[in-house]
Amino acid sequence: MTGPALLVLEDGRLFRGERYGAVGQTLGEAVFCTAMTGYQETLTDPSYHGQIVVATAPQIGNTGWNDEDDESARIQVAGYVVRDPSRTASSWRSRRSLADALEGQGIVGLAGIDTRAVVRHLRERGAMKAGVFSGDSLAPDAELVDRVRSGPSMLGADLFGAVSTPREYVVPADGETRFRVAALDVGIKSNTPRMFAARGVETHVLPAHTPVERIEELAPDGFFLANGPGDPATAEVPVALTRQVLERRIPLFGICFGNQILARTLGRGTYKLRYGHRGVNIPVIEHATGTVSITAQNHGFAVEGEAGERFGTPFGPAQITHTCPNDGCVEGLALLDAPAFSVQYHPEAAAGPHDAADLFDRFVDLMENGKGR
Amino acid sequence: MAIDRRGDPRRTAAPDRELLSAADVTRTVARIAHQIIEKTTFGPDNPDDLVIVGIPTGGAVLASRLAVAIAEFTGVAPVVGTVDPTLYRDDLRRGPARPLGDTALPDGGLDDRLVVLVDDVLFSGRTVRAALDALGEHGRPRAVQLAVLVDRGHRELPIRADYVGKNVPTAQGESIVVLLVETDGRDGVALRRAAESAGPGS
Repeated sequence: MTGPALLVLEDGRLFRGERYGAVGQTLGEAVFCTAMTGYQETLTDPSYHGQIVVATAPQIGNTGWNDEDDESARIQVAGYVVRDPSRTASSWRSRRSLADALEGQGIVGLAGIDTRAVVRHLRERGAMKAGVFSGDSLAPDAELVDRVRSGPSMLGADLFGAVSTPREYVVPADGETRFRVAALDVGIKSNTPRMFAARGVETHVLPAHTPVERIEELAPDGFFLANGPGDPATAEVPVALTRQVLERRIPLFGICFGNQILARTLGRGTYKLRYGHRGVNIPVIEHATGTVSITAQNHGFAVEGEAGERFGTPFGPAQITHTCPNDGCVEGLALLDAPAFSVQYHPEAAAGPHDAADLFDRFVDLMENGKGR
Repeated sequence: MAIDRRGDPRRTAAPDRELLSAADVTRTVARIAHQIIEKTTFGPDNPDDLVIVGIPTGGAVLASRLAVAIAEFTGVAPVVGTVDPTLYRDDLRRGPARPLGDTALPDGGLDDRLVVLVDDVLFSGRTVRAALDALGEHGRPRAVQLAVLVDRGHRELPIRADYVGKNVPTAQGESIVVLLVETDGRDGVALRRAAESAGPGS
């Protein structure tokens, strides 16, 4: 089952390799992920929807594919590009090989190219449109470049609707239910409700277009804005909902896309990063304490702002609370006089370090204070 | 457990121990090519600065391989040359007469350019010192960096490599055998135990 496959970038750069996973054509935004481990969590993370992910770790697939670690119902990436796929899967939890999982879900992949050259190209030129082609979809190079250029752009892409749950569902708390959280699913990862459940929180996962009336019906102790894919500038519906939630002073916690939604609700702009933050070892400084956490991240867009900056909003003053020391990009913000905060990174950390898990405890504290009032 | 092999025929007949396979050599050259690109910022936006200069014969072969790999990764081919250090060696008068290698440096000269000097094995550092003197006869580079496939230690001069394929701790009596397809028919690096060795030890 070998044959040629091609990674084609928008600027005309071509990389020739071997087919991997499903055979065919896929278009998306080429991004790279610096995580050394946890490819199953990466591939099933809804925030990667519509993206062709290039793994910087050269050897991928050695732990196969199991039935427990998925972060959503399916593989979300548009395509997967690796250097050296493992020929065998060796883990007692593995049920099938990574190649079989990709093929079974129709994900077109590519192996055997020099991913270090691809990543350097993307770092210098920025994330760009790309396509992976194999089998019958192969065509003269110029035609493939045309196909890639006419593909979808991530700027202005409205993708959260595509990964949101079609109907509401409830994840019960482990043991006694202390709080109820309404979680807006714009691409939620399954580890997030797990983190809540472990803290005695019952999570009601709501579709992206839920009206505020439904939230009032639920009367939750807190409102959670999930991570998700695409350009936050398209998130008008979640932004409107968030405004209504803030007006009702329901304690709010957002991560990743949720951080961008909260920022936009507070009147801040968002912009596309050149090549984004994607990996499991990205540092973040919390400016109130000076503490550095090593975090899992996956964002191609960021919130405008400077470290420690304060700004006025309709809901009182707000502050940029976290930034990334690598490039100074905003990684978290909070309202000072209202119970709302958010971070750009992934405290639910699948796959990734657990440095930031205490943010869920802070949210629980916030809900506790809210109840006392 | 120490084994005294004095007088044991196996002592001189000890087989070469493989340090790098053919695939390892290919991967190592590709990796050094990436490191050169990243450290020198060579690329389509900066194509004229870099000159890759090999020391004959192994270093010259590796220099052209590095240039091919760099061209593949960046889309632009760097300038390649060779420099023969023989006449600048400090031990020139000690040994028998030795053959001269090629010196071929680019038309543009070396003035104000970044030279990456390439050799197969870094040992005492005397070859590299001689090559630096030889380069000095041809111009004044902006800077000179050093890339070697194997650094076996035992430096006798204050010289170190910027790019190292593999660090190999060795004993003085051992030698490193570097085989390259272009000159030896196959790729590989091996450690030879015996005092008298046929391979290029430098």
